[in-house]
Amino acid sequence: MSPATKKRLSYFLISTIVLLVVGKFVYNSLQGNTVYFFSPTDLSNLSEKPNGLIRVGGLVKKNSIKEKQKNASYTFTITDLKNDTYVEYEGLLPNLFQEGKGAVIEGVLKDKKFLLAQKILAKHDENYMPPEVAEALKKSGNWNKNYDQ
Amino acid sequence: MTSNIGFVSIVISCILSLFIIILFFKHVLFGGPLHSKFFALYKASFFLIAASFVLLVISFIISDFSIVAVYENSHTDKPFFYKFAGTWGNHEGSMLLFILIISLYGYLFLLFSKQLNFPLRFTTIFFQTSLQFAFLLFLIFTSNPFEKIFPIPNQGLGLNPILQDPLLVLHPPFLYLGYVGFSLVFSLLLGGLICNYYNQSWAAIAKRWIFLPWTFLTFGIGLGSFWAYYELGWGGYWFWDPVENASLMPWIASTALIHSVLVMDKTKKLYNWTAILTILTFVLSLFGTFLVRSGILNSVHAFANDPERGLYILFIISLITFSALVIYILKSPKQTEGESGFVLFSREFSIAANNYLLIFALTVVTIGTTYPILLSVFTGESISVGPQYYNTILAPFVFIFLIVMAIGPYMKWSKNSFAVSKNKLIAFLISSLIVTILASLLLKNQNFIFILGVLCSLYLIISVLYEFAYFKNIKLKQFNFPRVFSHAGFGFLILAITLHYFFSKEFTAKIPLGESVTYKEFVIKFSNYFSKEDKNYQELTGEYEIQKNGEKIVLKPSIRRYSQPQQFTSETSIRGEWLSDMYIAMDYTSDTSDGIGIRFYHNYSIRLIWLSYILIAIGGLLSFMRRKNEQ
Repeated sequence: MSPATKKRLSYFLISTIVLLVVGKFVYNSLQGNTVYFFSPTDLSNLSEKPNGLIRVGGLVKKNSIKEKQKNASYTFTITDLKNDTYVEYEGLLPNLFQEGKGAVIEGVLKDKKFLLAQKILAKHDENYMPPEVAEALKKSGNWNKNYDQ
Repeated sequence: MTSNIGFVSIVISCILSLFIIILFFKHVLFGGPLHSKFFALYKASFFLIAASFVLLVISFIISDFSIVAVYENSHTDKPFFYKFAGTWGNHEGSMLLFILIISLYGYLFLLFSKQLNFPLRFTTIFFQTSLQFAFLLFLIFTSNPFEKIFPIPNQGLGLNPILQDPLLVLHPPFLYLGYVGFSLVFSLLLGGLICNYYNQSWAAIAKRWIFLPWTFLTFGIGLGSFWAYYELGWGGYWFWDPVENASLMPWIASTALIHSVLVMDKTKKLYNWTAILTILTFVLSLFGTFLVRSGILNSVHAFANDPERGLYILFIISLITFSALVIYILKSPKQTEGESGFVLFSREFSIAANNYLLIFALTVVTIGTTYPILLSVFTGESISVGPQYYNTILAPFVFIFLIVMAIGPYMKWSKNSFAVSKNKLIAFLISSLIVTILASLLLKNQNFIFILGVLCSLYLIISVLYEFAYFKNIKLKQFNFPRVFSHAGFGFLILAITLHYFFSKEFTAKIPLGESVTYKEFVIKFSNYFSKEDKNYQELTGEYEIQKNGEKIVLKPSIRRYSQPQQFTSETSIRGEWLSDMYIAMDYTSDTSDGIGIRFYHNYSIRLIWLSYILIAIGGLLSFMRRKNEQ
C-alpha cells in the first residue's frame, strides 16, 4: 500500500468510527426523549400500557373539570367521543384549556384509563384544533365540521 | 380599487420576471448582446412588487374589508399600529413580504455591484429573478393577498391577539430579511459557477451578502425569543419548538458559511465546502418557510392551514435544490482549489473543526425537527421530541466548540502556531479555572455539567477579553472588532444559559385575595385586583406583593380577554434585576372568589441572554460595515 492510500484509508476508518459512535449517541437520545401520542381509543386498544412519558389528546369532556381541595390540583376527562381517559393534574390550568375544546396532555399512565399529567399543552388559539386531536377525532368517527375553522 | 391595482402590479411583475428569464436564455443560447434594458426591467419588477406591498399595507390601514386577507385578519377597533403590522400577520401578506425581500436583495445587489464582472452580475440577477418568479407564481395561484370578497363585510374578524404586540412590527420582517436574504448569495454562487468566476475574489464579494442577512437573522431570532419570554407567558426564552428550530437551522448553516468563506478568501481552500454550505443555507431557509407555512406544525406561527400550499412550496424547494446541485456538480471548481490538506493548529484548521461541529449541531436539530414529521407521514404515529434530546446531545459539543472558538483566533493562517500561543492559552485555562472554582463554591453547585459549562464559556470570554485589553499593540484598523463582539457574545450566551438552566425556579399557585404563599425565600401576597375596559379587550390586573429578604416589590400581571376574535392573553409582569428576573404570569379565571392562579418564575441571567444576542448581532453588523469600507 502506498502512503497516500494508507492515509486515505485511515481517514476513512476514523471518520466511519466517529460517525457510528455519534449516530448511536443521537439514536439513543432520540429514543429516550421521544414522546408518543395516543388518543383515548388508541389507549384502550393497547394490550399493554406504555411506560414513560406520553401525550394524550382529545376534547375536554363537558362538566368533567373538578378542582381538588385548594391546592390547585384538578381532575378532568379527555375524550375522543368514543373512549375516555381520566386525568389528574397538579398545577394551574392554562387560559386556553376549556371544556369542549381540544387539548393535549403530557404525562405518565397509571393504568390504561388514568393519566397522571405533568404538562398541559395549550399554545394554540381558541379556534385552532391541535392536528393530533383532529386526527384522533377523525379516527373515532366523531369529527365535526364545526371544529374546522 | 386598490386591490385591483395591487393584483395587477403583481401580475405585471411576474410577467416581467418571465421576460427577464427569456432575455437571459436568448442571450446565452443564441448569442448577441444582452438586452440593454435587462437591469432596468429587473428594477421595474422590484418597484411593482414594492408598490403592491404598499397598497396592501394601505388596505390594512384603511380596513378595506373587500379584501379577504384584510377581512380575516383585521378589525376597525384595532389600534393603528396593529392594522399596519397586521399586513404580515397572515399567510398572504407575509408571502408578499417574502417576495418583496427576495426582490429587494436583488435590487440592492444591482445598486452596489456596478464595478463587478458583467456576466457575473447579470447571471446573478437572472437567478434572483427565477426565484422571484417561482414565488410570484405561488402567490398568484395559491395565496393572492388581494383576493376579494362579496358582499363586502362591515367588520373584520380581527387579528390573533397573541400577535398584537409591538414586536410584530419588527420580528417577522427581520427574520425574513435574514433568511430570505440568503437568496442573494445563493444566486451569486450559481452565477459564479456558471461564469467560471467562483474563486477567491468571489469569496470577497460574497462575504458582505452573507454578513448582512446573518445579522438580520440573528436579530430576528433574538426578538422572537424575547417575545416568547414576555408576551406569551411561557416563562422561558427557547423551547426547541419546531418553528424555532426552523429559524435556527439556517442560522447554524450560515454561521458555518461565514467562517468557511473567510477561509476561502484567505487561503483558497474549502471551495467546494463553501459552495455546499451556501446551497444548504438557502435550502434550509426555504425549508423553514415550508415547515411554518404548510401548517403541519402546531404553533402560533401557523396561520391558515392549506396542504396544497405546502405541496407547492415543497415542489419549489425540490426544484431549486435539484437545479442548484446539478449546476454545482457540472461546474464545480476543479483546478482553482488551493493546496489541500490542513496544517494542525492553524487558523483554518480550527475553523474547519468548528465547521464540523456546527454541521453536527445542524444535523441534530434537523433530525429532531423532521423525525416526528417523517414518522407521522410514513407510519401515522404522532410523536414529539422533548427538549432534553437537544440539551443532552448538544451540551458536550458546545463545550468543545467554545474551546476551539477561543483557541482558533490565536492561531495563524496556514501555520502550526500552537507553540507560539501555548503560554497564553494555558494562562487563560488557569484563570478561567480559578473563577469557575470560586463560582462553584460561592453558588454551592458542584454539578459536573454546570462546572464544564461555566469553565468553557469563561475560557472563551477571557481569551476574547485578553485580546481586547491588548489591542493597542496593533493598528486599530486591523483589529477584528466583529469577531471579538460575536465570539464574546456567544461565550456570554452559553454562560447565561448554563446559569439559567441550573438556578431558575418555577412555581405555580392559586392564591385567594388578601392571602399569601411562601415559596423558598419569596413571600407572594395577592393584595388587590381591578379590571378595566379597553377598545378591543377587557383587562383584569392583579397586584402581587413579593417579599424577598426584607425587600418588597409589587408586580402587576394581567389577563386580557379580547373580543375580536375572542381569546385570552396573559400580560406578564417582570421585575428585572441585574442577575435575575422575577416574573409573574396570571391565569384566566371566570370566578375570582377562590383566588387567581399565577405562575411565578425566578429566572437567572435572562438579561445576559438578551445582551449576548445583541453582541452577536453587532458583530455581524460590524463585519458588514467593515467589508464595505474595504472596497
